[in-house]
Amino acid sequence: MKVVFPIEERCIDCHLCEVACIVEHSETKDPILAYMVEGLSFNEEWSAFTPDPHEALEAGKPKPLNRTRVRNNGAGVSFSMMCRHCEEPKCVEACKNGSLYIAEDGRILLNEDKCVGCWMCIMACPWGAISRNPTRGNVKGLERTAISHKCDLCPDREIPACVMACPTEALIYIEKEEIKNYEVRFSR
Amino acid sequence: MLFYEEKDARETLKLRSLKKGEYHQDYPLYTVVRDNDKCIRCLACVRQCSYEATFYDPVRNVIYNKDEACVGCLRCVAICPTDAITVKRNDTKYRENENWREETIKAIKKQADFGAARLTGLGNDKGYKIYFDHMVLDASQVTNPSIDPLREPMELRTFLGRKPDSVKVEFRNGKLHLKEKIPPQLKLEVPVIFAPMSYGSINFNFQAALAIAAREAGTYFNTGEGGLHQKLREFGSNAIVQVASGRFGVDIDYLEAAAAVEIKIGQGAKPGIGGHLPGEKVTADISRTRMIPEGSDAISPAPHHDIYSIEDLRLLIYAIKEATRYTKPVSVKIAAVHNVAAIASGIARAGADIIVIDGFRGGTGAAPTIIRDHVGIPIELAIAQVDQRLRDEGIRNWVSLIAAGGIRSSADIVKIIALGADAVYIGTAAMVAVGCTLCQQCHRGICAWGITTNRPDLAKRINVDIAAEQLYNLLRGWAIEIREMLGLMGVNSIESLRGNRLKLRGVGLTQEELDVLGIKHAGLQ
Repeated sequence: MKVVFPIEERCIDCHLCEVACIVEHSETKDPILAYMVEGLSFNEEWSAFTPDPHEALEAGKPKPLNRTRVRNNGAGVSFSMMCRHCEEPKCVEACKNGSLYIAEDGRILLNEDKCVGCWMCIMACPWGAISRNPTRGNVKGLERTAISHKCDLCPDREIPACVMACPTEALIYIEKEEIKNYEVRFSR
Repeated sequence: MLFYEEKDARETLKLRSLKKGEYHQDYPLYTVVRDNDKCIRCLACVRQCSYEATFYDPVRNVIYNKDEACVGCLRCVAICPTDAITVKRNDTKYRENENWREETIKAIKKQADFGAARLTGLGNDKGYKIYFDHMVLDASQVTNPSIDPLREPMELRTFLGRKPDSVKVEFRNGKLHLKEKIPPQLKLEVPVIFAPMSYGSINFNFQAALAIAAREAGTYFNTGEGGLHQKLREFGSNAIVQVASGRFGVDIDYLEAAAAVEIKIGQGAKPGIGGHLPGEKVTADISRTRMIPEGSDAISPAPHHDIYSIEDLRLLIYAIKEATRYTKPVSVKIAAVHNVAAIASGIARAGADIIVIDGFRGGTGAAPTIIRDHVGIPIELAIAQVDQRLRDEGIRNWVSLIAAGGIRSSADIVKIIALGADAVYIGTAAMVAVGCTLCQQCHRGICAWGITTNRPDLAKRINVDIAAEQLYNLLRGWAIEIREMLGLMGVNSIESLRGNRLKLRGVGLTQEELDVLGIKHAGLQ
């Protein structure tokens, strides 16, 4: 199965993968609307969009969030980290109600309607690739509790959006078995 | 004294030392305009700006610019995912004055604040006449057929090196054999070589890309004076290595790894002065490659201190030839200066196989602005004169001529070859191919496009594979265009074009200029 593989030697810390991820997982698929309008509700009193994600959720337009994050150590090392879609996923093991599951094609997916936001998957993930989604909570009375949030390898696309957006090809879409044979020319 | 012992002079004269940022007499050259409706605050521009000109204010949730730090490199414009940024020339201008133009006033103000020689990168940007743009090419009509390069063979292969005075052959076993041994030659599939850009002035990634592209395209790259990195030794058969006045990184392995050795006497951007790599740019890898201590300034002396005459040059040329057992051509690179023709003749007689002439529009990693803008002559005139002089003296076949400095397109290549060059060096064009926007900040070592910087996070902006592909594409595209131009002139080989000045005509040139170039005015038969 194919996964997105980050190459540290090429990452320039521009965070355009995050932008692409947000746009891909937005309703409008337009960067300006995804960032500036979606997830904001119009406040009649102020005649302006207010950044309250929960109000927006009630209006049926949750703010799209990025499922990959660029990590940077401040000394020139940076790379984009998203779900590795492990063969023996710790997160699925840790999930107590089966909202995280292994799909038929090998992807690790999250049933967002089922997740209760216990964050055990976040604790278990050795890559730190799962984050919280503060726009959504499923438990009645605890709507403001964030559910989990992770990479779904862009089901609507042949090649994930982040891979297409990366200006230096620091993200590649590659078969899992080929990763260990992949050589970055002149790597340190 | 004031200029060379700056610190002491400042103390005795009780001058206060200006610090960075105290430069306040002037207005910024560029202003960055951001469309607030389009800006999504992804902060890509803030992270990409290496000149510290872009900032994010979380309180107001806006991105703003310190315009005085902006150099107009357009990195932010290129990276912005919503095209929200426009970089404009500042509308503020000093009062119009044909004599005291903006750049002159700005230069004086800057110097009054800092009291040092102004440094800059890249080539001469002044409005001197560009002779390439005043020459036009011939084409075949009715009386002579043009050639279709898509259907008929078209030869771009070029050999650089000393050619024998005559070809003597003999029959042996029913076959023709050369009687004399041909001196070592460089074989080029395209008459374009990547110009000397040293490891240090450019980073490893860009030099590696040059090496890969050179091998793919069947041509050469020049290491510049900074030595050849161990990892790039595998590309030795496509490398021309430089021996400059600083002798950085020169040892026998370096000479033996290469396809040819070049003695650098001068550089078009700064004739008569040596290279200078600031200590901050000398990282561990560069110190190992250059064989100098880490963090020390790499300052090449202005002259080679063992070359004060043509005879001395001959000694060095033959020392290198002896060291490499006469297996590699030796080239000598000089800047185009007033009596370049006589100097080139001397170099040919000193035993060089290739002469490189670097015109005054040639680029540099760092040079005093005043020297870059006012010293040297245009490459078109220099090549025309050198070629003519060598022909007149009957020694043109002793050397190959490489033209460098200001080659911008395939048309420039065809024109300079028609004026007498064998091949060209491209440096600035190669940098533009991988992203350079000619912002002329190479000397600062924080190139936002990752070309002339050794900071690891910035150097990563050049992906070796992408850059190599871009460089290869450039050479391939130019080769196709050169073939087309040769075809329409009815010539099927680049050799038939060399020095064929009848294929050129001048437009808008004076008689004097036409005479120097050795071409006729357009309209004359």
